[in-house]
Amino acid sequence: MKKTPRTSAAIIAASCLAVFGINAIPAASAADVVTITLGASVPLTGSLAKEGLLTKEGYQFCQEKVNALSTATIGGKQKKIEIVFQDDTSKPDLAAQNLSKFNDKGIKLILSSYGSANVNAQAAVVELNKQTMVDSGGADDAIFNKGYTRTFNVMSPASEYATSMVRAIAEMAKPKPVTMAFLSADDGFSKTVTAGGMKAATALGFTVIGPQYFPNATSDVSAALNKIKADKPDVILGSVHFVEGVAMIKQAKELGITPKSFAETVAPPILDFASTLGPLAENVLGSSQWSSTVKGQEKYFGKASNYASEFLARFGHEATYHNAEASAACLAMVLAIEKTKSADAEKIKTALAALDVQSFFGRIKFDSTGQNTFKPMVVIQIQKGKIITVWPRSIAQAKMIWPYVK
Amino acid sequence: MDTFLQVTAYGLLQGGLLALVAVGFSLVWGIMNIVNLSHGAFVILGAYIAWEIQGWLGLDPFLGMFISAAVLFCVGYIFQRFLINLIVNGPVFITLLLTFGINMILIQGMNLFFTADFRSIQTSYGSNSFEVGNIRIPLVRLLAFLLAIVITFALVAFVKHTRTGISIMATGMDRGAARLMGIRARHVYALTFGISAALAGMAGTMIATIETFDPSKAGKFTLMAFVVAVLGGLGNMYGALVGGLLMGLVQGWAGQYLSGTWVNAIAFLVLIIVLVFRPNGLVGKAFYAARVEI
Amino acid sequence: MSTLKALKSVNGFKRTLLEGLLVLVVVAGAIFFKSTLPGGELRAVSTIFMFIALSQAWNIIGGFTGYASFGQVVFFGMGGYFTAAVMLHLHFSFWLALPLSGLFGAVFAVIIGQPLLKLKGHYFAIATLGVAEGMREVVINLPDITGGGAGISVPIAGTFAKTQYLGDGGFYLLFLALALFALAVGTVVSRNKFGYGLRAIHQNEDAAAAVGINTVRSKVMAYSLSAFITGMVGASYVFQQVTIFPERLFDVEITVLMIMMVVIGGSGTVVGPLLGALGLQFISEYLREHFTNMHTFILGGIIILAVILIPQGLVNYIREGRRTKNYSLLANIRRYRL
Repeated sequence: MKKTPRTSAAIIAASCLAVFGINAIPAASAADVVTITLGASVPLTGSLAKEGLLTKEGYQFCQEKVNALSTATIGGKQKKIEIVFQDDTSKPDLAAQNLSKFNDKGIKLILSSYGSANVNAQAAVVELNKQTMVDSGGADDAIFNKGYTRTFNVMSPASEYATSMVRAIAEMAKPKPVTMAFLSADDGFSKTVTAGGMKAATALGFTVIGPQYFPNATSDVSAALNKIKADKPDVILGSVHFVEGVAMIKQAKELGITPKSFAETVAPPILDFASTLGPLAENVLGSSQWSSTVKGQEKYFGKASNYASEFLARFGHEATYHNAEASAACLAMVLAIEKTKSADAEKIKTALAALDVQSFFGRIKFDSTGQNTFKPMVVIQIQKGKIITVWPRSIAQAKMIWPYVK
Repeated sequence: MDTFLQVTAYGLLQGGLLALVAVGFSLVWGIMNIVNLSHGAFVILGAYIAWEIQGWLGLDPFLGMFISAAVLFCVGYIFQRFLINLIVNGPVFITLLLTFGINMILIQGMNLFFTADFRSIQTSYGSNSFEVGNIRIPLVRLLAFLLAIVITFALVAFVKHTRTGISIMATGMDRGAARLMGIRARHVYALTFGISAALAGMAGTMIATIETFDPSKAGKFTLMAFVVAVLGGLGNMYGALVGGLLMGLVQGWAGQYLSGTWVNAIAFLVLIIVLVFRPNGLVGKAFYAARVEI
Repeated sequence: MSTLKALKSVNGFKRTLLEGLLVLVVVAGAIFFKSTLPGGELRAVSTIFMFIALSQAWNIIGGFTGYASFGQVVFFGMGGYFTAAVMLHLHFSFWLALPLSGLFGAVFAVIIGQPLLKLKGHYFAIATLGVAEGMREVVINLPDITGGGAGISVPIAGTFAKTQYLGDGGFYLLFLALALFALAVGTVVSRNKFGYGLRAIHQNEDAAAAVGINTVRSKVMAYSLSAFITGMVGASYVFQQVTIFPERLFDVEITVLMIMMVVIGGSGTVVGPLLGALGLQFISEYLREHFTNMHTFILGGIIILAVILIPQGLVNYIREGRRTKNYSLLANIRRYRL
């Protein structure tokens, strides 16, 4: 074969110049005084596309609400925020890279991606680049025990997901069930959830069965179900995501497992849960970061019920907690901007650390690790195909139906 | 003992579903030596079509699956005839890349058109199951299993006893000689791909009824089809069924008797062991692995 | 024209010298440009270098030898997890872990290569895919060593951080070095007897055995060589990302990208995968940034067009075109269609 080093060399040189040349063009300069730019890299494609879209809607809703309120000013000029979106295709390294690119353009204020893996990667980059990020999509405690100081999570931490349901059952289920079986996916987030839930269950006097693990994102949890079938647990508590959550309910019925109640994390508050399972979803308990009866209000969104109705009018579907937590993250950032009257990442970081406000999302305040341990999670139940808040009692819309009657 | 029987039964049923997903993939690979990386996307597309049919016409999925199969047959025929046929004589990986490109387009197309919502087809009998002794047999899974068996036997009968089927096998064995005999290879290839897509559509309908689906699941089904097709072996219409049943059993037993999270690792281990000792799969024909085409 | 003729007639040592000079120029240029790029762009270009190295490595087993490994990412993941584990649990320095990860990958390749390389064609491809997926599951199920599904973090702060985090600029240089190393290996392999042996195996394995090439040894060597490079790239990736998860490190999409770059660029050549990596990464980054909703759609369309119009790969197309003075794309289609 004839070697043509000269042609090859020419091609290499030309392409390198093209690559480097285009990148050497200076990037557009960032925010001017009136418009403050926030960066948001969310998964618009890939396995988290659905939740990524809900997060984007939440951010957009917040942007519209904030910009519509003409009384909020900075230095005499009206303040507007602009959110720049990028797709990270559900991959953590792209989520981190997008933040670095935002940093190049001078965008220091960040709204997080969705998914604990993505947010974990983003938190590391945010520390290195001295940006400031408000997290709306990654609740795993592992993100917050690394000593990062620049990421603030508006959500209740992962350990609360199952614990809240355990507490609700202990408080309101009559007669009180004896045994509680824990089934869990094997990813980090779900394991943290399960550990927290099991600890609370033992402390509240339940007999704990399990935990039985199954692979993350599987649609077949029959093995785990078969293993606990003989114990005839009163409650089956699943630390799951949507796919496994639906599979658990369906396969339990197929295998003839009939506990007094099903409680699952993450899946039941998602609207598709009730629509895909139909009658099987009745009376399943779930834990949610937010519901439309949560107490608290502020000037941009009003109360939780206002949020719910206006969101429905704007986007055509009911607001889920993914929407709400995204809007809440954006809100926290905006409130910090208002307080410091600037877009400086350091000042905003300090302002966020000191924030304490009752909003449509509940109480937003961050502890020393950056987590919102001050907001309780809400326990919901699917009643007649609708998502109804049943706990805490002070904001319940209806009584919890017990036992789960098929 | 009861648990063992329950797990075995459930594993066989699951295996039937795996076989259903893989049979079209195995057909295309065995006959045309084309690895269709967009097979999973066709499965999901079939699921969406069946879901829409149920929404508009209220048709039960077991009837809707024929419509889904018909639509996908046309889609597959067109893709093969006017797109994939253009590169069939090229280096082997090219078909891979082309189908990967098709895969990207189909998945994103579905994402944009149908949105990434999780969906499932609900039926009134959806979670019924009946008891045989102490074992519970879910109804819909049983029907999917029976469908897989029926389709496999129908396919075998088709390629053995109909002219079209025989011409498909002939083109698969020796394309040059088949053309010399007057068989229109372009049409036969397109037909085969169409049939594969139609089978994917039926599999998709079953998946929609049993599980939830959304566009990002396509990759999982392609991988499933790959593993089952190779495990069973190419060139033999029973290959997908055999591979699927074995995989279903192995996964069921592994899930029950080992920690639940080792299931996937065991599945791949079985695949590798089988390939090492029977390099052409369980019932595959050696000839099909390294053909030279003209 | 006479310069061209003169250059073409230069052979052997002088030519190698010229090429070496060219490489030095390009490298100097790359290092210079590093200082003009901001952090995010540095990361993006580092990813380009990473894929250049990965595609060169794949080319050794897939392009030259013709054994298409669909599970190449397993070495990426094994090398990466090896580094993470020894840095976290044994407090190794990264510079010690890096070559060890490469060796780890190479040894693993030798072990699984023995049975797997007996398989042919698509069966080999699927078997390697099975190994990759299987190892991911194994990693998930050994949480004490690998952190399992919860991921694992390389220590970059505190007393256990033996090596300082390299930063965007540092990683740019690291990946550049790996890319150059892979290119060097690829060039050497393509020009010496070992490489000719691999090509012979690709074209007709039985004939190659008949003329005395030890096919088993050659194949295993090629496989472990590509594993060595891939393992080191994986190790560097892990250090850069700090926290890693099994799904990403054993992602089959990485293998598919490697294969795409090699095939679109031109498999069996050295320049081909380089161009493929540059082109594909650059295009996909650009599309992702500017067409947030439609980028996969457009990328898929571009891939389909590229595959239909230039199925033999860009470099081979150009070389054949120069040789036969015929650049017709339609002729391409006519040649390869049914």
